[in-house]
Amino acid sequence: MKGSQWGLVGRRVCSSLWARLWTHVLTAGTMAVALFVFGALMLAQENLQNLLTEWGDQIQINAYLDKGLGTGEVSLLRDKIQSFPEVERVRHISREQAWKDFRGALGAHSNVLEGLPEDVLPASFEVFVKPAYRDGPIVEALANRLRKEKGLTTVEYPQEWVDRLSLVVLALHWAKWVLGGILFIAVFFIVRSTVALAILAQKDEIEVMQLVGATEELIQAPFVVEGLIQGFIGAGLSVLGLWFLVLFLRDQTLTPIALFGSLGQLQFIDWRGIALILAIGSLLGASGSVFSLRRFMKRWKG
Amino acid sequence: MIQLFHVSKIYPPNTAALKDINLQIAKGELVFLAGPSGAGKTTLLKLLFREEEPSRGQIIIHGKDVTKLNSRGVARLRQQIGLVFQEFKFLPHMTALDNVALAALVTGVPRQESYTKAYQLLRELGLREKYDAKPPALSGGEQQRVAIARALMNDPMVVLADEPTGNLDANLADETMRLFREIRQRGTTIIIASHDLDLSQRYGTRVISLQEGYLVDDLSPLKEGRAG
Repeated sequence: MKGSQWGLVGRRVCSSLWARLWTHVLTAGTMAVALFVFGALMLAQENLQNLLTEWGDQIQINAYLDKGLGTGEVSLLRDKIQSFPEVERVRHISREQAWKDFRGALGAHSNVLEGLPEDVLPASFEVFVKPAYRDGPIVEALANRLRKEKGLTTVEYPQEWVDRLSLVVLALHWAKWVLGGILFIAVFFIVRSTVALAILAQKDEIEVMQLVGATEELIQAPFVVEGLIQGFIGAGLSVLGLWFLVLFLRDQTLTPIALFGSLGQLQFIDWRGIALILAIGSLLGASGSVFSLRRFMKRWKG
Repeated sequence: MIQLFHVSKIYPPNTAALKDINLQIAKGELVFLAGPSGAGKTTLLKLLFREEEPSRGQIIIHGKDVTKLNSRGVARLRQQIGLVFQEFKFLPHMTALDNVALAALVTGVPRQESYTKAYQLLRELGLREKYDAKPPALSGGEQQRVAIARALMNDPMVVLADEPTGNLDANLADETMRLFREIRQRGTTIIIASHDLDLSQRYGTRVISLQEGYLVDDLSPLKEGRAG
């Protein structure tokens, strides 16, 4: 298309957007809601994935000590664990230290612990694995060996959580596409109907343009651009909504999210995620227009 | 040159609008398609600018078989044909100038050039003062002249007019016909569909009569001794 034809397209887009402003606002809003749901699932998935990566880098085993162990037994047990070839170092966390750490993690909300005895938390060893041994089966074997040691009540290591959380991440990944897919199909039909309304409202204009020799591309381009703009604005609104959601959740220090927050700040979706949402929105808008146009142009051609 | 070979048009389920039409129209001719309502005049015009496709036969315009054009080809054909309708077919929210310029803008002519030419045409057709008026604010004769200006925007090789004087009084009808004769002098072929026998006899250099889809008469002024 030539410059003057693009100018004509631009003027027709502006006049159509203005003439049916509220219809377009509602459609863009619907699209924003659908993409917000998709983006929120993506946000949850990405943050859990970050958490998993963070845990995976640490590869640390927590071994909780029997309350009846004396100082000498604790020291002997620590030396024994330290002698294992996979172990880099062992850090002893006393009951007092555990209580202090917990209070520190709660920060301004530590008053919720008032009334509880300070020795409620067990003492433990934090066992750090050498980088060369930070592999799932090796860590699992080490944890099993520790479980057989007398004086240790419970042995936990992040791999168990990593495995469980991996399943949650996988579920979120599928939920994102399945739920998103259903919402996108619904949005696609809404966009198609909006564009159909715009086409019907401009039926006379289209007929006149056809009679004076406008090509199909020139007649269809304004509707595709209209759908594209609608989709892009809807996607932009959803990204804005997600940003506010992240800001809101970062303030929620007493929710389970606060626990994630203590391990790593809740992250906003990266530029690839933003680009994906904007691309899906624009594509939905443009494809809704194209399908609507195909239907009408076919009907008018008879 | 416009040539029609054995052209028929049948609308579903089985209504024949045109039956085996054979016709040749030379460049620069002013031709009247005459006949009562339902004779097939409008259908014939629609076949020429490819709003309809013939059920049978071949239509050649300036060497191109218009029955075989794709959508882009149809658009290009219409850019070379000026159309004038009885009901004008304007965009009511646009000014007369916008409506005329649109015909050039869709072909990719730059905006300034399109508007300059549209203004010149409107001035030539006596609408200098009305260029920024919207069609509903114009009289029937003024609207007809705007429609003619639009039809001439792309310097067409053919102008097709369907009942162009149908909504006009006798004086305005004469004025419109005078304009068509002036256009013809530029070498443009003009085909006018009209059921007004008197008009066609007064102005037609050639009158093609249709009846119930058949071409029943083709009177040339040379053969019949009538001057246009």
